[in-house]
Amino acid sequence: MNSQNGAGNYNSAGGFAAPQRQDMEYLCADCGAKNEIKSREPIRCRECGHRIMYKKRTKRMVQFEAR
Amino acid sequence: MPDGSPRISPKSTFGTLAREKNFKYPPKDSHVAPILNEFVTPALESFNALFDDSGLPQGDGDGRGLLSLGIADIGERVVFDGKGQVGEESGQRGWGNRLTVWYEQVSVARPMVSERDQSARVRKTYPTEARERLSSYRGRMTVRLCWRINDGPVEKESRDCGLLPIMVRSVRCNLRGMSSAELVSHHEEPEEFGGYFIINGNERLIRYLILPRRNHVISLIRPSFTNRGPSYTPNAVQIRCVRPDQTGVTNTLHYLSNGSATLRFSWRKQEYVIPIMLILKALVGASDKEIFEGVMMQEYEDTFLTDRVEMLLRSFKTYSLYTGDQCLEYLGDKFRVVLGMPEDWTNKALGTWLIDKLVLVHLDNPRDKFRMLLFMLRKLFAVVSGSCSVDNPDSPQHQEVLLPGALYGMILKERLEDALTTFVRSIQIDVQRGDPSVDFFDKRYIKKMLQKTNYEIGARMANFLATGNLVSSTGLDLQQASGFTIVAEKLNWMRYISHFRSIHRGAFFAELKTTTVRKLLPEAWGFLCPVHTPDGSPCGLLNHLSRTCRIVTHPLSVSHIPALLAAHGMTQAFSTSVDGRRNLCVQLDGRVIGWAPQNIVQQLAASLRIWKTEGKHGIPLDLEIGYVPTSEGGQYPGLYLFASRSRMMRPVKYLLNGREDQIGSFEQVYMNIACTPEEIEKGIFTHVEHKPTNFLSILANLTPFSDFNQSPRNIYQCQMGKQSMGTPATALQHRTDNKLYRLQTGQTPVVRPNLHDTYGMDSFPNGMNAIVAVISYTGYDMEDAMILNKSAHERGFGYGTVYKSQIIDLKDLQGRSASSSAPTLHFGFGYEIKTEGEKAHSCVEFLDLDGLPYVGTRLNPGDPIAAYIDDTTGRTKFVKYKGDEIAYVDTVRLLGSDAGDQELQKVHVTLRITRAPVIGDKFSSRHGQKGVCSQKWPMIDMPFTESGMQPDVIINPHAFPSRMTIGMLVESMAGKAGAMHGLAQDATPFQFTEEDTAVEYFGDQLLASGYNYYGNEPMYSGITGQEFAADIYIGVVYYQRLRHMVLDKFQVRTTGPVDPVTRQPVKGRKRAGGIRFGEMERDALIAHGTSFLLQDRLMNCSDYSTAWVCRTCGSLISLGYDDVSLGEMVIGTGGKLKPTGPGGEYCRVCRAAAEAEEERERKALATGQNGSRQNGLRVSIASQQVLGPSSKGGDLDIVAIPYVFRYLCAELAAMGINVSLEVR
Repeated sequence: MNSQNGAGNYNSAGGFAAPQRQDMEYLCADCGAKNEIKSREPIRCRECGHRIMYKKRTKRMVQFEAR
Repeated sequence: MPDGSPRISPKSTFGTLAREKNFKYPPKDSHVAPILNEFVTPALESFNALFDDSGLPQGDGDGRGLLSLGIADIGERVVFDGKGQVGEESGQRGWGNRLTVWYEQVSVARPMVSERDQSARVRKTYPTEARERLSSYRGRMTVRLCWRINDGPVEKESRDCGLLPIMVRSVRCNLRGMSSAELVSHHEEPEEFGGYFIINGNERLIRYLILPRRNHVISLIRPSFTNRGPSYTPNAVQIRCVRPDQTGVTNTLHYLSNGSATLRFSWRKQEYVIPIMLILKALVGASDKEIFEGVMMQEYEDTFLTDRVEMLLRSFKTYSLYTGDQCLEYLGDKFRVVLGMPEDWTNKALGTWLIDKLVLVHLDNPRDKFRMLLFMLRKLFAVVSGSCSVDNPDSPQHQEVLLPGALYGMILKERLEDALTTFVRSIQIDVQRGDPSVDFFDKRYIKKMLQKTNYEIGARMANFLATGNLVSSTGLDLQQASGFTIVAEKLNWMRYISHFRSIHRGAFFAELKTTTVRKLLPEAWGFLCPVHTPDGSPCGLLNHLSRTCRIVTHPLSVSHIPALLAAHGMTQAFSTSVDGRRNLCVQLDGRVIGWAPQNIVQQLAASLRIWKTEGKHGIPLDLEIGYVPTSEGGQYPGLYLFASRSRMMRPVKYLLNGREDQIGSFEQVYMNIACTPEEIEKGIFTHVEHKPTNFLSILANLTPFSDFNQSPRNIYQCQMGKQSMGTPATALQHRTDNKLYRLQTGQTPVVRPNLHDTYGMDSFPNGMNAIVAVISYTGYDMEDAMILNKSAHERGFGYGTVYKSQIIDLKDLQGRSASSSAPTLHFGFGYEIKTEGEKAHSCVEFLDLDGLPYVGTRLNPGDPIAAYIDDTTGRTKFVKYKGDEIAYVDTVRLLGSDAGDQELQKVHVTLRITRAPVIGDKFSSRHGQKGVCSQKWPMIDMPFTESGMQPDVIINPHAFPSRMTIGMLVESMAGKAGAMHGLAQDATPFQFTEEDTAVEYFGDQLLASGYNYYGNEPMYSGITGQEFAADIYIGVVYYQRLRHMVLDKFQVRTTGPVDPVTRQPVKGRKRAGGIRFGEMERDALIAHGTSFLLQDRLMNCSDYSTAWVCRTCGSLISLGYDDVSLGEMVIGTGGKLKPTGPGGEYCRVCRAAAEAEEERERKALATGQNGSRQNGLRVSIASQQVLGPSSKGGDLDIVAIPYVFRYLCAELAAMGINVSLEVR
């Protein structure tokens, strides 16, 4: 899959293709299962079918000035 | 131990380990604080009562729910197709075929996942999903409709009514019957008790409302009754009758000055009045004699009564109606148009229907209605003659509660009735239009019409709950049409639980000028808390139920009581020879069941009480035995038994047999109840309170030593407890409230009443134990300010957090137009946003690749909180963080659609805002002693005791003398002793006496731990190190941090936005506006003669402006400009110089006037006058050099005026008023 061929070109209506991004991992609000959901995919847990996802806490360093 | 004795470890009185265990392992088969489930039972059970499978006892009914009873009461609707022949079988009188429709069944399902969603493994939905997805917690409602044509077979059809909001933890809720452990696994509180609805993610509840007691006749005197028409007097008796389905109709019997009476009722918000004789006759076809005897009851020598009854009978002769049937037909004839019943009904049937549906609707039997009306007449005449007093409708004695479920059922019933009526009406319209598709025998036609009818009942109920507005054609016999529901705010736990115990008098009374309705009456003792009411406008109207007050919600079985009483000496109601002078009326739920002499009635009341407390003869404990003894001009005597629902009852101990008794607000008035066992006097008291504090609400009970305080201070604490930052919930992770306040360092109070544990308040700490010194130390503690120890602050004293939500819904951003088709907005970045490398877009600091913020990131005002791509433009747009202070992203929720089949369109972001205490934040003890933090004083400069202790908080001694909050002083001592001994001190009020004082008790404890007996200690100045001349009172007091914080309130501006019209500063904190310098402030400056300040405030800092004013005409608004920048002269029509000011400015009015003058001169010249003037040489001179522009419009001056004055001049000019300024 090269990005030139535009994985999002199926979306002809808008004329602009959405960039293909990597999967994001979310946590199901009901069962806590990890779910990989691509952009423009329905929000639904693969394990239990629940309809709410939490974003995982960032892995980046979070440091603020302590005052 | 130092002396070698074994260390004794007393049992913890704080229960810390037990609490920790309960938190880690919530009980699997019970609840942590079972009492919390009890106090919402009225709400829950009244909602359950709607359904046939309510789980409530059957009582006298057949166990059907209110909805089933309601649709039975709706009855049938009839429409004719007009195709019949006169005299034909199918078309009696030519109306044609008769289509009858009625409801057979209403059913409501539990909340489920939509059928479109195949993937969900768990089909039930739970409240937490509704909360987190900002949707509503609803179950599908369906109704089964039956119809038949003429006498043909019955056809049935189901109709979907949409999704009906379901009360959490009710019989239709999926959380029903769950233990704490199960609740926690469903992301609820372990103590979740329900009783509310979830609408769009908000928790909303229907507030209890006070209504007149049902099925009981009260006498009234209202001067306004005289406005009803000629011969109306202020006297009336009123009864609010309630049907088994809990809908009510109020009947009022008015006394007319000619001695007769009329019955008033309302039908579809319209009031109707009928002579009482007409109804008496119509009911049972009573003869004049029967009515006479029925009212007189052998009191023939009472000429007052005989006169009036005679008038009553004589005045009715004018109607020439003699039999019952005649009266019914007369009524039916008059009301035919109004009622809108089937056309083929006879007048008599209509009359019967009218009386059945609108007169004393709590009774089925016409004979019962007749007897009750006679009783009402007798009571009315007694009031008029003055032999009995007027009842007070503001007294809880004559009040009951409108329960959430009952109101919900009433609205549902009306919605169903309306839907059925519109269905029938639409068929009728088709018939009248001669629509060819009308065919009653075609099932498809009927089904088509049914589908066309609006059955969106669920959505309308959701709208009712969301707004609290009642859209009703009948008004439901209620006095208000809005304000029925409130949001159950989870500001803190105290506020949350208070919502469920609050009871409102009615919005109607809020506007009333008189304050009598707000009065605290002795009748309210034990039912409404005297302490827990807000001050200000809702004072006394918004009350809270006392701790032990219950509301009866289950039906009682009392049908055997009349026979039982008859067997014990009561004369039955049908007896014709009852002497009204000696006999008292016995009523059960507004039905006359018999008569008995006073001594027998007294006996009956006594026996009933014994029976009900001991459970004999099947008398239910919740039966209310209202025995009103005979008195001189007191309340109308009788024995009134109440077994209906919605009554307030409370438990007390019955002294005769030591059993528990439930007493109601009606009977309590005639009882002697001792507050404590000590004060019982034989022969006087029949009952004793279980606890002397039972009359207080939950919150009022939680105020420590409230009996030591001046009473208003306890009222203040009840309010401030509800405004404190605390622990709103333990399931904070799963909450989506708009705003939550959380105290990070909450503690359990050392000094607390025992009820604190009973109600599990330790799970929701609401403040901190502080070492408080009462001393005037730095001067920064004046006027209720308090000094905070800076080190205490740094250790986390009072540290709080505010959680706010921001919802990003792409559907809203997209607008209505494209809502139906596939979404064109998507979360994420477009190609033009570089996420990596040197030139990465600045937003990647905040946003992840999915366009949502990183959890944990810090946001400044205006930072991007989400990114989305617009398909139509291909550009990436950003949603900004809209707050005005630094926030951290706490949670990001991706919200799916109902069926889980749509891509991400809605995101809920929880933001965390840190709120460390700052100067200006509000704190309060639990005794109505609020104060503002004035300084965070360095620890080294704080005073210290001999042991080196330093206070966390310093308050000024002047806070005490005028406020008399001795409870706080006692708490200070008790807290100090408790902290030293490791005891949770019981602070329940009414524990100490004059002989056994609190000071003694805690003083001894202090002494035992080596402190001064009275809790004061020598202290040393932290600055000089010198000992103070006086010993300082220092101890441990529980402090609450209130949610009013300066950061939310401060308002300051130098320059900023101005109003475009007036150029004055705008108002409002949100818009960075100013604070109004009003008339009274202006007066102050004038009085002080500080004119420069006045000028500064009202002119220079407001709408200072300069303007040209014409010296000639004084106009501010006639300024014109000529372009003289190139030094050119402006030449007019006559080739002359036009006069302008140095900058080219001129007055348009004056120039026009000058030119007109010139024109006139020229015309005069042309018409034959000698032309002395001639065209001379033209010289170009700069206008600046021209001297004396004369009065030709160029003479302008600059003045300083408020801009709004110029605006005023323009406005006045528009009205044709000229403002002229005289410039000197």
